[in-house]
Amino acid sequence: MKIGVIDYGASNIFSVDRALKSLGASTKIIKTPKDFEKIDKLVFPGQGSMGACLKKLSDNDLRDPLINAIENLPFLGICLGLQILFSESEESQGAKGLGIFKERICKFSEFKDKKIKIPHMGWNQVEFIQNHFLWNDLESNNNFYFVHSFVSKNISENDAFSKTFHGEFFDSAVAKDNIFATQFHPEKSGKPGLKLLQNFLDWNI
Amino acid sequence: MSVTIRIIPCLDVRGGRVVKGINFEDIVDAGDPAEAAQRYDEEGADEICMLDIDASYEARSTTLETVEKIANQVFIPFTVGGGIKTVNDVEVLLKSGADKVSINTSAIINPNLIKEASKEFGSQCIVVAIDAKFNGENWSVYTHGGKNKTDLDALSWSKEVEQLGAGEILMTSMDKDGTKSGFDNNLNSSLAENLNIPLIASGGAGSINHLVDAVKLGKADAVLAASIFHYKEITISKVKDSLKNEGLSVRL
Repeated sequence: MKIGVIDYGASNIFSVDRALKSLGASTKIIKTPKDFEKIDKLVFPGQGSMGACLKKLSDNDLRDPLINAIENLPFLGICLGLQILFSESEESQGAKGLGIFKERICKFSEFKDKKIKIPHMGWNQVEFIQNHFLWNDLESNNNFYFVHSFVSKNISENDAFSKTFHGEFFDSAVAKDNIFATQFHPEKSGKPGLKLLQNFLDWNI
Repeated sequence: MSVTIRIIPCLDVRGGRVVKGINFEDIVDAGDPAEAAQRYDEEGADEICMLDIDASYEARSTTLETVEKIANQVFIPFTVGGGIKTVNDVEVLLKSGADKVSINTSAIINPNLIKEASKEFGSQCIVVAIDAKFNGENWSVYTHGGKNKTDLDALSWSKEVEQLGAGEILMTSMDKDGTKSGFDNNLNSSLAENLNIPLIASGGAGSINHLVDAVKLGKADAVLAASIFHYKEITISKVKDSLKNEGLSVRL
């Protein structure tokens, strides 16, 4: 089994690749449309801004093959890899997301009476909302590692699989059919994170 | 339920070995970095920091080997600092397994480095480290491992690097470093209240209470310490228990 890891050219994908390999997975770094051939699952680790990411995907002719792969293969989106699945983001006005989820990515709310540090950086609790294969042998309210400045807050109930609190609740994991995406970084979340990645490797859908 | 206070053990590394000095001097050997990192991970460290205190050009390959060894064993955030001068240095470290890099002297010599590196790899992986000493009025920033005094004041410098794209500030009090007499909570709270990015407090940890005070009084988002964890004087889990008893959020 080959796990494709997308490298769109502006992200640190090495940690994800390293974590997958530590679990015995065979990975293939995807930089060109041709690299999508002969992969069985796909991981999209992303950092930085959504607009820049989408532009890089288009510039490198990766957008269409990516959409095609997301429609057909077990897919794990991490951080920005979650956000690009949405239709748009307040971070990058005018940039057109992949639209798999119709909702939008928003800013964190500001509060007069409490100071919320942005980016949301550090370990925070992930409260499960629905069962999922990728939650197997994991407990609700485990801590996972986050680094991000924008969030999904109002995805439809069916697609929300966990929530996390940073000044307000947001969607920390979303899923639909063969797609699972986390706002946190499983590759940097110690044992529970590695377990989630192992579950993804074991996921047959 | 909220983002937890991070406890970050720091490995000061030279020539592939952990070392520890007092007030930036008197260096002694303290073990294998990868073994130490693994032990800290098991004890509940929220991140690992490694500072290459030698950081000479000749020793670079040893440093990268050490980074790679740690990154292959430990799957929590891993920051590496020391000797970073160019965007390419940042890239090489990230490729070797660092998640974040900590930039100190080079950020002062060339502030543009912060801007370029954060643009290229994202603010989340750019930590700016500041070494400062109280001068009777405010805190003067020093470079080259505390050797050279600059005209910069820690408060305005931290604000400037935030604007330039730093994702975090690692603030080391030179007055407190190695003294085990507690953190400089005045310095840290002055910075924390002014910053929108997280502040990591460093320098002066000698007891569990010092770490708790660094959060409660110093308003730090994360606390970094080296020797007290290294010599097992206190454990990370005991620090977290104490923070929790004070009503602070920790990852247990």
